[in-house]
Amino acid sequence: MALRRRTLLAGGLAAGAGLTSGCAGKPLDSLLTQAAHVPRTPATLVWWVSEIPSRNGPVVADLIIRAFERRHPHLRVRKSNALSTTDGNRAAVTTQLAGASPTPDVYLGDTTWPAQFGANSLALPVQTLLPKDFWSDYPAALRRVSEYRGTVYALPFFTDNSFLFYRKDLLAKHGLPVPRTWEELLRTARRIQRAGDAAYGFLWQASVSESLTCNVTEFLADAQAPVLDRAGRVALSGPGAERAFALMREFTETGVTPRTVTTYAEADSQDAFTGGRGVFLRNWSYAWGNAADRSVSKVAGRVGVVPRPGFDGDGPRGVSCAGGWSNFVNPNSQHLGAAVAFARFCAGEEAQMILLKHAGVIPALDDVLTRPEARRVGDPTLTRARELRLVARPVQTPYYPQVSKALYTQANAVTGGRATPAQAVRAARADIRTALEGRAL
Amino acid sequence: MNAVTSSATVPRSPAPPPAGPRTGPVPRGGGPARVSRRKRARTGWFFASPALLTIAAVTVFPVLFSVVLSFADVRLEYGGFRLLSLTGDHYAAVLSSPEWRHALLFTFGFTAVTVLLELVLGTAAALVLERLGAARGWVLAVLLLPWALINVVAAQLWGYLFNGTYGGLTWLFEQILGHQPDILGQPASAMGAMVVVDVWKTTPFVAIVVLAGLMLIPGDVYEAAEIDGAGAWTTFWKVTLPQLRPIMAIAVLFRILQAFGIFDLPFVLTQGGPGTATESLAILGYKTLFQNLDIGRGAAVATTSAVIVIGCCLLFLRVFRTQADEGGRA
Repeated sequence: MALRRRTLLAGGLAAGAGLTSGCAGKPLDSLLTQAAHVPRTPATLVWWVSEIPSRNGPVVADLIIRAFERRHPHLRVRKSNALSTTDGNRAAVTTQLAGASPTPDVYLGDTTWPAQFGANSLALPVQTLLPKDFWSDYPAALRRVSEYRGTVYALPFFTDNSFLFYRKDLLAKHGLPVPRTWEELLRTARRIQRAGDAAYGFLWQASVSESLTCNVTEFLADAQAPVLDRAGRVALSGPGAERAFALMREFTETGVTPRTVTTYAEADSQDAFTGGRGVFLRNWSYAWGNAADRSVSKVAGRVGVVPRPGFDGDGPRGVSCAGGWSNFVNPNSQHLGAAVAFARFCAGEEAQMILLKHAGVIPALDDVLTRPEARRVGDPTLTRARELRLVARPVQTPYYPQVSKALYTQANAVTGGRATPAQAVRAARADIRTALEGRAL
Repeated sequence: MNAVTSSATVPRSPAPPPAGPRTGPVPRGGGPARVSRRKRARTGWFFASPALLTIAAVTVFPVLFSVVLSFADVRLEYGGFRLLSLTGDHYAAVLSSPEWRHALLFTFGFTAVTVLLELVLGTAAALVLERLGAARGWVLAVLLLPWALINVVAAQLWGYLFNGTYGGLTWLFEQILGHQPDILGQPASAMGAMVVVDVWKTTPFVAIVVLAGLMLIPGDVYEAAEIDGAGAWTTFWKVTLPQLRPIMAIAVLFRILQAFGIFDLPFVLTQGGPGTATESLAILGYKTLFQNLDIGRGAAVATTSAVIVIGCCLLFLRVFRTQADEGGRA
């Protein structure tokens, strides 16, 4: 019996090993040749897309698909509904792609994915398929996050920019201006809190997740402290980094930010703000729609939005993490040419104008933001998006998830009062180095 | 449910290889009985084969595949993936990493504390339930509600209660303590909260298993104890508990398997935070595999978890073997 069991196990292992090594790779050149031409024969593409926030009812993805199909009558696009969270999406889509599934042909993915997906051959390198001046119409930070080792793996679709939302009524009541620095924001918030007009001063996101990495990236950029240097080595250290971490601690220490911020993701901070409990909120541009919607927001009509403050001194202001979603092409797609055409269409003017008019997101194409239609929509995050100073997260490494974890774990500890800023910077630096060496889990 | 529990249970479940009727034991007597027995065996295998094939496809193969991956240096390529070599590097990396050690410690602690609490509370609840007369059905139904809830739903429900902005429990503690507590934001309270939710959710399971055991104890044992002049306490320790041991062993075994693979609670409540305080082995495996796309190491985390939990269960069974055997005969 024992022998037989062992035979079975060995047989199974051998079969598994055989199957694992049985899959053969395809040469990239032939894929790119296929991808360079839109086929003239009918084809149906599958687009993996999560729900795009809609400004006025219609399903935005459907509008874009219909517009594409009008341009290419022999091509059809079918939606495959993606999940609502970035990490859930990544798990689902990578499971399919790693198994060499030909669908989805095009998938909408986070702007933090290109390096990781490029390094693992899960996305088609599209750089050579684009005209030379393609990127001149998009924010430079968006191009930086879309490439890995000089090759582009994602086509821009829409961006998420962060802003400072504030209560116009409370500032007016106390005769205070909109703060331009963090120091001023701390003073303003405390004054309004002391008067009993708001429970919380400043709401942001500090739960152990990518949300916190975005916040940390912005605070570090405010303090002009890079995470990685130009060669991609860890650079996080020194007084700048400590200043950023110390600010996060100061918010919770002074009570301007509730201590429970260490469990806040975007929705939690937004709920507290739209519930009328906070003076300031750092959130993505889509929060404007919710804050201004009378059916979900107690503070609708009393909210203002400005670019984020900076530190006292001559450092940068209006920093925003470059967030957003891009389209990736599945290298195993059987309709590579059509897939690339669709991804490019989504990045192009027609689709971007649909986003501008109907979606509660910021189109990636810079130019459409200056159109008169942008003003007519009445969303200040659209008209002010070009004032922002976009900063990329350190995503140019296939080990980005581990780098991000190193950042958010330590920032969470500082904010929760479990580490000093100096300790946290030191620990984060060590953890990032381990991550970049590919040794972190 | 998740990689760890599913793989953990598997090596116990694969069916033995089909021992063909020719090689099977020959019944004594021979003759017509032998033929009919062989025929019956063949029919048996025939009817069992769909189930065996299904088990092989959905359980045995994925587990073996995962074990292969844990030793393999896998490279994803256009058009598929390639296995480069078989090494033990992933195990070396996993076992020596502080993340894994931390997750192991948390998972062990969580398992030990919750299983112990659930055993004590579940037994107490079962003892009370046994004494209830007509109301038992109703009380049981209410008691079983948490157990019947889907794990993720239960976790989400408690997530709302613990929420820092509008959570009912946060508000309650604020009234008592005078300041807003950061329940899920501090390591100790986050771990405590997770234990509370798990105990709330799974104590009914232990209670119902123990209750079944209680109802199997013959009444004359108690009569004998009464005649011997044993008090309630002595009766419990010397009569009830020894009789319950086998069934308690089964309950504990089930709970160890489940608790060790805990995924949904930390995933929904804390995402493994604050810091990495509540990062269980299952969460670590998920992050390694699906966030980091580190296939070999992710598989190694899952495999080591499975090996550890099987080891724990075997050890536990050995300790309780005598009692379990008695239970089997009863």
